[in-house]
Amino acid sequence: MTRRRPVGGGVPLLLVPPAAIGAAFLLLPTIALLIRMPWSGLHGLYADSDVSSALILSLQTATAATVASLVFGVPLAWMLARLHFRGLGLVRAAITMPLVLPPVVGGVALFLALGRFGVVGRYLDQWFGFTLPFTKYGVVVAETFVAMPFLVITAEGAFRAADRGLEEAAATLGASRLSVFWRITLPGIGPSLVAGTVLCWARALGEFGATITFNGSLPGHTEVMPTLISRALENNLEQAEALSLVLIAIALVILTVLREQWLRPAVST
Amino acid sequence: MTAQLAGLAGLAADVHVERGAFQLDVSLEVPPGEIVAVLGPNGAGKTTLLRTLAGLLPLTAGRIALAGNVLDDPAERTFRDPADRQVGVVFQDYRLFPRMRVIDNVAFGPRSRGLDRGPARQLAHQWLDRLDIADLARRRPPQLSGGQAQRVALARALATEPGLLLLDEPLAALDARTRSVVQGELRGHLAAFDGPTLLVTHDPLEALLLADRIVVLESGAIVQQGSPHDIAARPATDYVATLVGVNLYAGVAADGRVELDDGGAIMIGDTTLAGRVLVAVRPSAITVYASRPDPGSARNLWPGRIEALAPLADRIRLNVSGTPSALVDVTAPAVAELRLARGRDVWLAAKATDVSAYPEPGGNSAASDAGAMRS
Repeated sequence: MTRRRPVGGGVPLLLVPPAAIGAAFLLLPTIALLIRMPWSGLHGLYADSDVSSALILSLQTATAATVASLVFGVPLAWMLARLHFRGLGLVRAAITMPLVLPPVVGGVALFLALGRFGVVGRYLDQWFGFTLPFTKYGVVVAETFVAMPFLVITAEGAFRAADRGLEEAAATLGASRLSVFWRITLPGIGPSLVAGTVLCWARALGEFGATITFNGSLPGHTEVMPTLISRALENNLEQAEALSLVLIAIALVILTVLREQWLRPAVST
Repeated sequence: MTAQLAGLAGLAADVHVERGAFQLDVSLEVPPGEIVAVLGPNGAGKTTLLRTLAGLLPLTAGRIALAGNVLDDPAERTFRDPADRQVGVVFQDYRLFPRMRVIDNVAFGPRSRGLDRGPARQLAHQWLDRLDIADLARRRPPQLSGGQAQRVALARALATEPGLLLLDEPLAALDARTRSVVQGELRGHLAAFDGPTLLVTHDPLEALLLADRIVVLESGAIVQQGSPHDIAARPATDYVATLVGVNLYAGVAADGRVELDDGGAIMIGDTTLAGRVLVAVRPSAITVYASRPDPGSARNLWPGRIEALAPLADRIRLNVSGTPSALVDVTAPAVAELRLARGRDVWLAAKATDVSAYPEPGGNSAASDAGAMRS
C-alpha cells in the first residue's frame, strides 16, 4: 500500500529550512534569557528597592493607562464603527498614528503638547501649577498614548462585526440607546474587548520609548520596568535579567489567556 | 366611519419609502384585534414596510399613527424612536439575546420600560406560562429548538404589552414538521392579542391560515386585498394565482366567451359579462384525455403537451403547454392509466360552469362586484 498525498498538498521542500530558521530565530533569545537567568539569586534581586518600586509603578501605570483607554477608547471605537461624519478619516489617522510612529517621536510630540511649555501644557502649568512630564501621571499619559490604539482598533472591528439585529430587537423592546449599548452591544463584543484590553495593558506595560522621552527614568518616581532594564543593562545585568523574567512570565500568561484569539489559525479574515 | 374609528384605535399607516430605485407605497388600516397578512414575493417591500412601522426605518413621506398617536410624519418632523413606540416585533430570525436566559429575554422589555428586576421577572413568568413554555425559563437561546425560540420571541414581544404586533415571516425559520404544529398554536396566541397584528410572509399558506385579511404586495405596491377566501377564489395577478395554485387568464369577454390575450378562448357560464375580465380555473377542474374526446355541450376543449409532472400531497400536478397553457391536477392512478409522461400530447377539457370569470380589477369596485363569481 502506498500513502497517498492529497492533490496539491505536497510540501515544497525548499521552504522548510528558512521556516525552521525563522522559528528558531524568534525562540532563541527567550531561551538564552532563561538559560542565563541567575535563578538562585532571584529573590534578592526582587527585594532591591529600585526593582520593586519599578515593578509596582509599572503595574499601576499600565493598569491606569488601560482604564483610561477603556473609558475613552471604547466610545471612540464605537463612533468609528457606527457613525459617518465629516473628518472620520482624520480621526482614524490620528488613532493609527501612534501605531506607526516610533514611540520616541511620540514622546517628543507629547512633550511639545503637554510639557511645561507645550501647546496645552503651558496652561496646565499657568492655571493649575501642574506639570505632567517627569511624574507618574506623565508615565500613564505616555503609555495611554501608545497603547490605546490597540484597544480602539480591536474594539472597532468587533463593533463593526456585532449583530445589529439584536440591537434593533432591544430597541423595539423599549431599551434606550444608552441601554442598548450597555446591555446588548458591549456584552456582545465581550471576547474582543477582553482581547483588546489585555493587548492594551501588555503594550502599556512594555512601553519604553515614549515613556523615557516624556518622563525620564527617575528611580522611585518615573522608572518603570522597561526603563530600569535599559539602565540596569549597563551596570547590573542580573537585575535586567530578573526584570525581563517578570515581563516574559506576563507575556506567557497573556498568550495563554488569548490563545483562543490568536493561536488558532485564522479560518477566514 | 369604521375606517375613522380604526384610525383612532388601531394602526393607520400611509407608508411611502424611497430607497434608491426602489419605491414602497402602501396605505393600510388595521383595527384592533384584526390580523393582517402582507403577502408578497421577496423584494416586494414587505420587510421595509414592517421596519417603518417598528421605527427601524424612517418614512420618506406619509404618516404612521397608532391609537391616534403619530409615530412618524416627515411633514410634521415627527419621528418616534422604536423604544417609544409600543410596537412588539417578532423577527424572522427571532433575535433572542444569546447570553441571557429565556426568562431575562422576556423580562428585558418590562425592565427597559422601567419595571424593577423582581416584578419584571414575575411578569415574564406569567407570559411564559401563558405560552406554555414555563419550563424553558432557565435555558439560553442556543439550547432552544426553532419552535421553542419562536414562542420565546412571541412571549418577549407580548410582554411589553404592545399596541401593535408585527411578525416577520414567523414560521419561515422552522422545519416542515414544526411548522404545522406552531402554525396552529400561533393562530391561537395571535387571536388572544387584542391589538392590531400585522405579519409579513411570502408563504401563501401561512397567510391563508393565520390572517383575517390578506394584503398582496408586489414591487412596493398593494395589488390586491381581501379575505383569504376572496384572494384564493379571485386572484388579481399572476403572482397571486400562482401562489394559490390557480390558472389565471386575462382576456375580453362577450356573450359567454372570453378571447384570451395570449391566444385561445374559454367559454364561461356567465353570458352577461363583457369587457376585460380575468378567468380563474382550478387545476382540479381540468380533465385530461389521452385522445380527443367527443365535445360535450359548452365545454372547453383544447390540445396541449405535458411539459412537467410534479407530485403534490395526494395528486400529480401536470404543467401542460398549449393555448392556453395550464396546470392540471390528476390522481396517480390516472397518470398510470393514461400513460402520462413528459412530452406526451394530451387533450384538456373544462366545464364552463367550473370556470370563474370576473372583471379585471382596474379599480376598487371590481373586487366587490358580485355576480361574476361562480363556484
